[in-house]
Amino acid sequence: MAVVAAAAGWLLRLRAAGAEGHWRRFRGVRLARGFLHPSATVEDAAQRRQVAHFTFQPDPEPREYGQTQKMNLFQSVTSALDNSLAKDPTAVIFGEDVAFGGVFRCTVGLRDKYGKDRVFNTPLCEQGIVGFGIGIAVTGATAIAEIQFADYIFPAFDQIVNEAAKYRYRSGDLFNCGSLTIRSPWGCVGHGALYHSQSPEAFFAHCPGIKVVIPRSPFQAKGLLLSCIEDKNPCIFFEPKILYRAAAEQVPIEPYNIPLSQAEVIQEGSDVTLVAWGTQVHVIREVASMAKEKLGVSCEVIDLRTIIPWDVDTVCKSVIINQILEHINGGDLLLQSVIKTGRLLISHEAPLTGGFASEISSTVQEECFLNLEAPISRVCGYDTPFPHIFEPFYIPDKWKCYDALRKMINY
Amino acid sequence: MAVAIAAARVWWPNRGLSQAALLLLWRPGARGLARSHPHRQQQQFSSLDDKPQFPGASAEFIDKLEFIQPNVISGIPIYRVMDRQGQIINPSEDPHLPKEKVLKLYKSMTLLNTMDRILYESQRQGRISFYMTNYGEEGTHVGSAAALDNTDLVFGQYREAGVLMYRDYPLELFMAQCYGNISDLGKGRQMPVHYGCKERHFVTISSPLATQIPQAVGAAYAAKRANANRVVICYFGEGAASEGDAHAGFNFAATLECPIIFFCRNNGYAISTPTSEQYRGDGIAARGPGYGIMSIRVDGNDVFAVYNATKEARRRAVAENQPFLIEAMTYRIGHHSTSDDSSAYRSVDEVNYWDKQDHPISRLRHYLLSQGWWDEEQEKAWRKQSRKKVMEAFEQAERKPKPNPNLLFSDVYQEMPAQLRKQQESLARHLQTYGEHYPLEHFDK
Repeated sequence: MAVVAAAAGWLLRLRAAGAEGHWRRFRGVRLARGFLHPSATVEDAAQRRQVAHFTFQPDPEPREYGQTQKMNLFQSVTSALDNSLAKDPTAVIFGEDVAFGGVFRCTVGLRDKYGKDRVFNTPLCEQGIVGFGIGIAVTGATAIAEIQFADYIFPAFDQIVNEAAKYRYRSGDLFNCGSLTIRSPWGCVGHGALYHSQSPEAFFAHCPGIKVVIPRSPFQAKGLLLSCIEDKNPCIFFEPKILYRAAAEQVPIEPYNIPLSQAEVIQEGSDVTLVAWGTQVHVIREVASMAKEKLGVSCEVIDLRTIIPWDVDTVCKSVIINQILEHINGGDLLLQSVIKTGRLLISHEAPLTGGFASEISSTVQEECFLNLEAPISRVCGYDTPFPHIFEPFYIPDKWKCYDALRKMINY
Repeated sequence: MAVAIAAARVWWPNRGLSQAALLLLWRPGARGLARSHPHRQQQQFSSLDDKPQFPGASAEFIDKLEFIQPNVISGIPIYRVMDRQGQIINPSEDPHLPKEKVLKLYKSMTLLNTMDRILYESQRQGRISFYMTNYGEEGTHVGSAAALDNTDLVFGQYREAGVLMYRDYPLELFMAQCYGNISDLGKGRQMPVHYGCKERHFVTISSPLATQIPQAVGAAYAAKRANANRVVICYFGEGAASEGDAHAGFNFAATLECPIIFFCRNNGYAISTPTSEQYRGDGIAARGPGYGIMSIRVDGNDVFAVYNATKEARRRAVAENQPFLIEAMTYRIGHHSTSDDSSAYRSVDEVNYWDKQDHPISRLRHYLLSQGWWDEEQEKAWRKQSRKKVMEAFEQAERKPKPNPNLLFSDVYQEMPAQLRKQQESLARHLQTYGEHYPLEHFDK
């Protein structure tokens, strides 16, 4: 009996470890714990896997939304979903493996709390998941679909582009699927390679009728996801998977909204405008510090947040040289000329050609041509599939961004 | 020891561990107890039994190597109520529909036929850009529509206009959509025959095939959650059934237990592709059981057979929250569309057979005549009247202007994005200078 109990205890620990998100993260990749060797000594540092290419910078604790709690990205997503299902009795969450909590733990606890008719697994079929979600939304109920990795969204491309995006337009507004939101893990993760690292936002940017939103942090994620769910248009919400655990900050417990199609200037500056979204925002933030320290250059850092419809005005205003600005300050008239940057650098992990930076670049040169001091710079992934062992060379890291910035300053 | 003898689960350890441990674990729950669904009885695990323990299938062992032969020689039989002369074969299957209802069935089919003839001609004359007729398949539309509640949600493919006709969609609106005129509820955005009607619970048609199938399943799931006592019906052709979306829809409907009727119009052709090049199995009905779906094949040209099958499927789908698959065998008498000339791939004799010998309208007319509910005079009068109605609607539709070009820009999103508004303004400015080169006189100011 004691042997049985001990064995049972061992078995339960193994299963608990197996359920631990980290080990179940990737399809088809099973890491048998028994095979791990003792870790290498410090001298073998070159052989060890790289540390992250960014440092997550939390935003200051938000004060306007009530009590906050420290949450990482997946917990902030769970919180948003929890708020949604509590508020909206028609809301349902579905996709592959969401019932037990999801491969990234974004839906942990929700099935127990809201019931198996509201949080449920679907068969393994992305075109079915999105089509099914559209149908739920057509009846007016709120559909929150999960695609397990953005890399696997392509079977659903027809349903998204030909159906969801066009539902309202083609029916003359008789029908719509505005209450559909599709969530999907997105972006590089250090070892994801071709099929666990993609950033496919550019494919969807070319599709009028949907919204594409990418948060940089837990606080942003919850507010943006809630806005997507409540938005009356079908939305795709890409979640930077590398931030699921790595990013943690104070996030309000109660629901709150961050508006869509509004970029955020997270740091003001006067010499160069840096634009990015998702994980890459933290990279360019660091580049801004490097630029200040090494070159004395003042950078304006913008998080685009919504890819389409995108906030053209905020980006252009950052670039354009303003006219004389009058301030009336306690009776004194203060003339101030605010010269904005005239230089733009856009950075994303997705490949360069046809990436969303090309849309931003094209629009900014149309709107701000005479104000540009240098050609617009794009620092992006190479035009290759996302490689495995070569990831450190592939990604648009801070050194590549810094170098591009330096060239722009010296143009 | 009682634990050992009782149902238990055997677990062999992962590789890489030093000692194998045989573990007996009592685990009640999904694996140990039969699920509520009658078709899914899981066995209880026992180390003493030689029965299969696989979670993936509920079956016995067999020690003889035998491949299952697909049966296409004598496939699933075709349910019918009337013979080709409109006589009831088995009186116990006669739905005994009241006279008004049968007349409504007949008039819907014939009015549709008349409208098809006129609109097909109008395309030939360059008055509308495109048209698809429903010749030969009218029975599948009205037979099924008559068996549903008016609020049951309909997802169609493109050859189901008779469903709308049965639900009294006005001729004016059929024409408005085909002409893309100012009365079109769709605001002139789509090609002809892409009808939609919120009031009559008919979801707007889209061109991509089979995309409506998983959508219909989602709508059915939402109806189930809302306790709406509604069924969703999803129409598609045997060609569309080859799409991945069809497979997705069937599988989701079964696993998520949705109150949905899948209605396949098997009309023999997908444009020029005959069924022998579309599938090798026993049509679409035979696929249903593969998904765990109740399935039937019916004579689609027999309005009563279609009616009976749909009626029963509806009753059970709603009562039991499970999908039903109806494969209605029929024949596409017309060309695929006005862009098709089917004499390129099939014989005139073949088409004539169906037109003359096995047509849903004539079979129902024979029934009406034998009941004494119709006669030659009424037939002549109705033909004249229906033609007059169609011609009036047609002439009206011709005269109306097209919608204002500003409607090119709205409804992309619920609210118009700033950048799109700029594009709208840019077109307005362009038209101010170059307007003479555009057909503005046909459009609403």
